[in-house]
Amino acid sequence: MIQLYNVCKSYQKDSSSALHNLNLKIPKGDFVYITGPSGAGKSTLLKLLYCAEKPNRGQILVNGQNITRMGSRHIPYLRRRTGIVFQDFKLLENRTLFENVAFPLEIQGKKRYEISNKVYQALKHVGLHGKLHKYPLQLSGGEQQRVAIARALVIDPLILLADEPTGNLDIDVTLDIFDLFKGANARGTTVLLATHNREMIRRFPRRVIALDQGQLVEDFTP
Amino acid sequence: MLDQTVYLWRRVFRNIRQSPVLCSAAIGTVAVALTILTFFALIVVNVQLLASHWSEDIQVVAYLDNAPQPTRLKEWRMLIEDMPEVDRVSYVDSEEAMRRFSTRLGPDSDLLEGFDAEILPASLEISFKAEHRSRKAAEAVVARLKQNPDFSEFSYGQDWLERFESFLDMLRIGGGVLGAFLLFAALFIVGNTIKLTLYARRDELEIMSLVGATSLFIKTPFLLEGALHGAMGALIALGGSFALFQIFLQRGLASLLLVSGGGKVVFLAWDQQLLLIATGIILGLIGSLLSLRKFVRI
Repeated sequence: MIQLYNVCKSYQKDSSSALHNLNLKIPKGDFVYITGPSGAGKSTLLKLLYCAEKPNRGQILVNGQNITRMGSRHIPYLRRRTGIVFQDFKLLENRTLFENVAFPLEIQGKKRYEISNKVYQALKHVGLHGKLHKYPLQLSGGEQQRVAIARALVIDPLILLADEPTGNLDIDVTLDIFDLFKGANARGTTVLLATHNREMIRRFPRRVIALDQGQLVEDFTP
Repeated sequence: MLDQTVYLWRRVFRNIRQSPVLCSAAIGTVAVALTILTFFALIVVNVQLLASHWSEDIQVVAYLDNAPQPTRLKEWRMLIEDMPEVDRVSYVDSEEAMRRFSTRLGPDSDLLEGFDAEILPASLEISFKAEHRSRKAAEAVVARLKQNPDFSEFSYGQDWLERFESFLDMLRIGGGVLGAFLLFAALFIVGNTIKLTLYARRDELEIMSLVGATSLFIKTPFLLEGALHGAMGALIALGGSFALFQIFLQRGLASLLLVSGGGKVVFLAWDQQLLLIATGIILGLIGSLLSLRKFVRI
């Protein structure tokens, strides 16, 4: 599903690389933790996968498509098959939960009845179907992250990328959020989860890709 | 297609509802900029009208040594009227010249008593077509007439024409420079105001791009919003400049025109009003487009 060949990325010409000569293969339906200390290159790797950044060198293939050669006109269509979850949720505060989750479907030009149905199912799946018309700021941090996950999953993505999704949440909420990622993975979505949280990796052991200073230092499945 | 159009307009109106202050600022900026621009345009247009009224006076007077025979006169008139610049030729004989001179002297006309009308030469007064009322045309006609030895002297207000043409040039260049400057200033201010509205919505723009919106999908509502702001600002500017026209120009310029024997002070014609609204729309569109280039990067 995802292949990286000799990928290098540095943000400034003379600075040290954010990623250095990275080679990876992630099969379809895999669940992968990306770990490492701050500045290891976890977020950079995810940004390369949703084309927010371009590598300086190397090739990246997603679902058989070389995204390093992809023109900017085609990037939106790649993102329509990719769910993205952030630590800071990135929800629209002036829109209701329903509107937030419906947003990616509206962008794809789906019919209104289809949007209503899918959004309701996605919010039901994360346990927030009773709060359709609330605004994000009326919810707790854990609930906001569940809305962000519902928004990422409502499009039935091939890949789910999550960048420190539980960084600001307490342990009980973190467990709930991980259950949602596991559920998405069980339905066939390839999940890449960047995290510092060793406790989660211990509780839900899956393949671990460890980065340090932009280099792959470990790749194992416990 | 209809669904998408409705969705885009719904987003436009939702954006406007959600940031009423910024929208009002954008509309207000367009309105103020275009009001100033229109006010100056009105001054330039009216002074140009006055100038074109003055230009009706441009004529060449060809003095004749001796009063011509009627057949000769007819010949000359036909010859001159055939010139492309010439609109009309009128013959002024010595009696008519004396009558005019006497009228001009007014109460002092008795000074002319005892003088024979023959002391004043007969002349041909040559008026020009509207598009040829210039020093160049007058000089061209005089150059052709000079080839005929029967015309002894020519008068076409050379000095006055020179000053008049310099004034017209200054008006054209000054109006153009001022208009371009005001338009550029308006574009800069409108662009920056729209940039502020986009800055306030940068999160929305980022999220749209992350969930797969195309550049066109993101930009279109903002462009429509910019055009709407421009149109509304232009309509307000139309009202504002009409108010300024009534208060300042109707009285101020009208008295100037009255003194100089000019016509009425005019407001913008229908096509000029439409042009103003189109300018507002284009200002809003370009302002949005320039700002969006900075904020929307996929």
